[in-house]
Amino acid sequence: MSIKIALAGNPNCGKTTLFNALTGSNQFVGNWPGVTVEKKEGKLKGHKDVTIMDLPGIYSLSPYTLEEVVARNYLINEKPDAIINIVDGTNIERNLYLSTQILELGIPVIMAVNMMDIVEKSGDKIYVDKLSKKIGCEVVEISALKGTGIQKAAEKAVALAQKNKTSIPVHEFTKDAEDIIERVEDKLVGVVPDAQRRFFAIKLLEKDDKIQDQMNTSVDVSKEIAEMEEKFDDDTESIITNERYTYISSIIGECLKKDRKEKLTTSDKIDKIVTNRWLALPIFAAVMWLVYFVSVTTVGDIATGWANDGVFGDGWHLFGIGTASYTEVADEYTDAETIVNGFLDYESEQGVDVESVQTALDSEADDYDPAAAKAALTEFATTISDADTATYSVVDEETMADEEVTSTGADFQEAVATMDKYDYTAPDPADYGVWIPGIPVLVENVLDKVGCAEWLRGLILDGIVAGLGAVLGFVPQILILFIFLAFLEGCGYMARVAFIMDRVFRKFGLSGKSFIPMLIGSGCGVPGIMASRTIENERDRRMTIMTTTFIPCGAKLPFIAMVAGAIFGGASWVAPSAYFLGIAAIICSGIILKKTKMFAGDPAPFVMELPAYHMPTIGSVLRSMWERGWSFIKKAGTIILVSTIAVWFTTYFGVMDGKFQMLSEDQIDYSILATIGKAICWIFIPQGWGNWQATVASVTGLVAKENIVGTLGILYGGGDASVYATMGAAFTAVSGYSFLAFNLLCAPCFAAMGAIKREMNNTKWFWTAVGYQCGFAYLVSLVVNQIGGLFTGAGFSIWTIVAIAVIVAFIYLLARPYKESQTLNVSVKTSRAK
Amino acid sequence: MMPLTMVNTGEPSVIKKVGGKEETRRFLEKLGFVPGGTVTVVSEIEGNLIVNVKDSRVAIGKDMANKIMV
Repeated sequence: MSIKIALAGNPNCGKTTLFNALTGSNQFVGNWPGVTVEKKEGKLKGHKDVTIMDLPGIYSLSPYTLEEVVARNYLINEKPDAIINIVDGTNIERNLYLSTQILELGIPVIMAVNMMDIVEKSGDKIYVDKLSKKIGCEVVEISALKGTGIQKAAEKAVALAQKNKTSIPVHEFTKDAEDIIERVEDKLVGVVPDAQRRFFAIKLLEKDDKIQDQMNTSVDVSKEIAEMEEKFDDDTESIITNERYTYISSIIGECLKKDRKEKLTTSDKIDKIVTNRWLALPIFAAVMWLVYFVSVTTVGDIATGWANDGVFGDGWHLFGIGTASYTEVADEYTDAETIVNGFLDYESEQGVDVESVQTALDSEADDYDPAAAKAALTEFATTISDADTATYSVVDEETMADEEVTSTGADFQEAVATMDKYDYTAPDPADYGVWIPGIPVLVENVLDKVGCAEWLRGLILDGIVAGLGAVLGFVPQILILFIFLAFLEGCGYMARVAFIMDRVFRKFGLSGKSFIPMLIGSGCGVPGIMASRTIENERDRRMTIMTTTFIPCGAKLPFIAMVAGAIFGGASWVAPSAYFLGIAAIICSGIILKKTKMFAGDPAPFVMELPAYHMPTIGSVLRSMWERGWSFIKKAGTIILVSTIAVWFTTYFGVMDGKFQMLSEDQIDYSILATIGKAICWIFIPQGWGNWQATVASVTGLVAKENIVGTLGILYGGGDASVYATMGAAFTAVSGYSFLAFNLLCAPCFAAMGAIKREMNNTKWFWTAVGYQCGFAYLVSLVVNQIGGLFTGAGFSIWTIVAIAVIVAFIYLLARPYKESQTLNVSVKTSRAK
Repeated sequence: MMPLTMVNTGEPSVIKKVGGKEETRRFLEKLGFVPGGTVTVVSEIEGNLIVNVKDSRVAIGKDMANKIMV
């Protein structure tokens, strides 16, 4: 016989720790149908037929929050065979409030008093036998963190479930209240199962609006309600709440002996410092700086570099052995090569025929022969004397910026000597230290060996492997970040962050915790979006997810540098302005969105329980890290993979010379993507960059933002002038900034979109987020171009009017009055009790 | 009677009344803010409070704290 056991208790009472201890790795994590509340199920260790269900943390069984409704529906409809009611021993009085309600459900209950180690340490004493008698169910002492007593608790729960003996609540209210409850109970005979009668009776008296949905026949209790309210001069729900607390207070003296005499607990002492009026912000800044420094700039950066350029690149040196010596020789060789090629270019410009030498030196050619290169270059070298000079341009690989460099003949001769030293072959990293080739290299070798068709090879290497690399390359950094987040959450600091930052962020509709995703997002949007998980309030979380990627991430930096260099002549204000644009976009979006219908309706008041500070166990930190990391790999992987393959296909295939064929990288002009770009680029005419090159670059930016630079490099390169010069000519300052603004604010890369989809866990919300970002970006860039054009003399057009209309609408949306929602709006599908 | 926001840090005081709309009150009651109970303000930032109630710590916004009378 299979047994279902539910874990129920207050938030922060150690429920999840107990769940993990009971089930180990035997877990299934999902969502409750239709809502974003996490649902965790697992098999009890050593009992294959016992399922443990971790219910969301709740304070009561009333219908005011999503968590309560989910937990309540499960308990009433699914009727687990037993409930383990976990209770925090350090504040048992408040926790018993929920217990009194759980006991009324007519399901066998066992109470597990948690955190007994802390209770004992503080000198308090809980008398479990007395508590057991006064509350009406078996009570066991446990410490989920230390693992003591949990096995006993589980075994007792299983035994209880097998006996199927319903726990009978023994708590009693005052006689007047009991009489009325009894009368309602009598009305419910035959309507609901006998064991659940008291629960339904009380809920009906409390005027619980969701309880009728759970019953087949409606029962009218308005007379009893009126009578009760008359007698107690209060509303029924408050009466019952008070009755419960009164009962608990009456028994707590016998069951709990307190040793503390109003002295502050350690946790309160820490709070006095950490949430102090003056120290809170500096401490918060220091903690954030540390998280950012480690997970984004130092360790995180190294990890991403290793994953992207190593595992999914050419390869890497094991433990970095040999990296330094390889970099040294590689740089030496590359420098020499740059000088030699520069000289050749210069001579070629001067009218000297050096083509044969250049061909011989082309190390990327399939038939490259070092001996021939040597012969050609040695011969050419004789024509250069030490006194000659050459001026040529060097292009930076990352940003496509070009720089004029002048070298002398002496430099040239030295460079030739250097190339000679290495036998005209670039140093191979595999010769230095312990070299491990990257996955693309390994796959390529296999494909070469089996003689794979060209198109399939492209699909596998440039589509699938590159696509997977784009996702998995972020994983090490994400995991590092998640270790931090898990620690901050586990020790209790994260809950305080919301408290400290709340007043600032509340003003534009975000939560105090929104700061963390945004900070992380300045490194990479993917972990940034995933960091939004720590925000409990669904409305705040959605808003944070929608706005986080407005902050320029690391991958957008080369693009910003390119626009600054090519269009603004390297102006230093462009990069900071991108950050200001992002911050302004977040603040304005927050204010506008919080006034929309979508975000109205959820409760706004800020009240949350803070867990006591404690050191989380390594196991729980690692588990939390892995759970989140894995869900990213799994869910984000699919959407990114498909999208990357689609973009790959449209980029590398097209009609050239009258037939459909596969294209090489520099033939992108003929690709399907270019055709699409030409067809849709009119959309961006009001933005001032309605040309297909810019449109195509923006599309490839969806795969990864740094691709924009690469694509523009191909599209604007190849001519006589440099990439920067061609690009500078294609844009005016105004349309250039409009182009920049659009690509900074529009939908992020596929990896980040995958993360949005995962975190929203709702297709409608995913499209709303992406649609909002693109729409916002479109309008902002339109305004930039039109209003900017007005000042730079581009003249007045119909679009100028549109831009002005957009600004007016924008100001209206920002300034319109806002009524904070006063009603809780919880809609969950309820099913009737069977 | 005065609102909770006026209480000095560290001084325990007894709740006299919980005001505000029904739902607000319910929520506070569930967390242990019931008349007769004791609360202690642990710390305060710009009117937002961290209070100790029934041995647990609760962070509470200024507008909500103003509705708890002690």
